Amino acid sequence: MNQDMRRDFASRGELIAYLREQFPEAAQGDEQVPAQRGGRRAAEAALQAVRPHAYGKTRNFLDGAVTRLSAYLRHGVLSLAEVRDHALRQVRQREEAAKLVNELAWRDYWQRVYAEIGDGIWRDREPIKTGHTRYADALPQDIQQGETGLACIDAFSRELRETGYLHNHARMWLAAYIVHWRRVRWQAGARWFLQHLLDGDPASNNLSWQWVASTFSHKPYFFNRENLEKYTAGIYCRGCPLAGHCDFEGRYEEIEARLFPNRPAEPASPPRRR
Amino acid sequence: MEKALIWVHGDCLSPHNPALLAQPSAPALWVWDEALLASYGVTLKRIVFIYECLLELPVHIRRGEVATELLHFAEEHGATHILTTGSPSPRFAEICARLEQRYPVEVLPGPPFLSGGGRYDLKRFARYWARAQHHAFGDSG
Ligand SMILES: Cc1cc2nc3c(=O)[nH]c(=O)nc-3n(C[C@H](O)[C@H](O)[C@H](O)COP(=O)(O)OP(=O)(O)OC[C@H]3O[C@@H](n4cnc5c(N)ncnc54)[C@H](O)[C@@H]3O)c2cc1C
Repeated sequence: MNQDMRRDFASRGELIAYLREQFPEAAQGDEQVPAQRGGRRAAEAALQAVRPHAYGKTRNFLDGAVTRLSAYLRHGVLSLAEVRDHALRQVRQREEAAKLVNELAWRDYWQRVYAEIGDGIWRDREPIKTGHTRYADALPQDIQQGETGLACIDAFSRELRETGYLHNHARMWLAAYIVHWRRVRWQAGARWFLQHLLDGDPASNNLSWQWVASTFSHKPYFFNRENLEKYTAGIYCRGCPLAGHCDFEGRYEEIEARLFPNRPAEPASPPRRR
Repeated sequence: MEKALIWVHGDCLSPHNPALLAQPSAPALWVWDEALLASYGVTLKRIVFIYECLLELPVHIRRGEVATELLHFAEEHGATHILTTGSPSPRFAEICARLEQRYPVEVLPGPPFLSGGGRYDLKRFARYWARAQHHAFGDSG
């Protein structure tokens, strides 16, 4: 009756085949399973590779020295304190690890908010500040399939589904595109992310979506092509059929006026980054 | 005689999780929450990742309705109480409440990130950080 599930597998392939059979619904969307491994051993190896100083200088770039520890932190395989202590041991001066410690704190912060509001993470924390009131309930198919025609967005969609990981900046761009350019409720995007992210965490995820949407921040987060091009070394724009006339062209003020025509004007400055 | 059962859930998949450390020889259980997997539409890759974490822990792995499975398991092993590690998730609190109708449940806190306890202003990250930065750099901070 109460049968234990198997623990003896000769190989990763055998484990995956077993789980495919045990969880057929979950297996439907995933033809392949990404290479990133679960478990403490893999987590420790990833921890050894952390370079706090380089992280601080390059983390906003898609090819920057980000840690990719999120799935381990999410599931408590590593603790925030452990990563912080390790990072501090790697540097001569505390300041060299300051950026990483600050980012780790974002996770601690979202977890504290979650402890306070529980399922409230699924509801707007504050009124939305975009000047719009109507948002679509469902995530459009072209985004889910990676068929919008925008090389960057389609690549992020594919990477999310195939690897279960996206760089923080890519998450921000993709979320902003969904909420502000396509005017879809943030909850629809949040749900999609949680299906796929190996680090999928209701608090970090939903509250970050709310930060992008402006229901948990002072103003909506958006970007322009120049910003995306800079932090991606142009790899998407270069081969994009829409290059030069895509939805993201223009100065911040122009895009802001296009996206949020009903929003009370504010002194122009690029949105603050996390 | 006191006999603990350890509940391992998705926020504490380290072999150093406080509940496993407190009772290294007690039987431990993980339950795949079938309703949760279905409602979130969780994909296979996430299940594989978690399963690989479980294979490095001394746990039995089952599936179904979490509280029900834990209660069966506790009965099978003649447990007198249940030990686990804390989580902010409301579902965790609901499951604990159901378990508590039959067994005492002890929730051990996970390792803290900030050295200074107490309440933080959570209105915005900046407010939290204004105070937290003095406690975020470990003992040296
Ligand atoms: C729309 C959106 C959805 C997100 N969903 C999730 C999610 O489901 N789970 C999740 O863990 N993070 C989420 N994040 C936060 C962040 O993008 C990821 O934690 C980070 O990209 C993971 O990659 P990394 O481990 O290489 O991060 P690094 O930059 O190397 O950071 C180290 C660790 O710090 C923590 N961290 C860093 N930045 C953040 C942040 N902004 N918020 C919370 N924690 C942070 C993570 O635990 C991360 O592993 C989301 C961000 C956005 C904008």
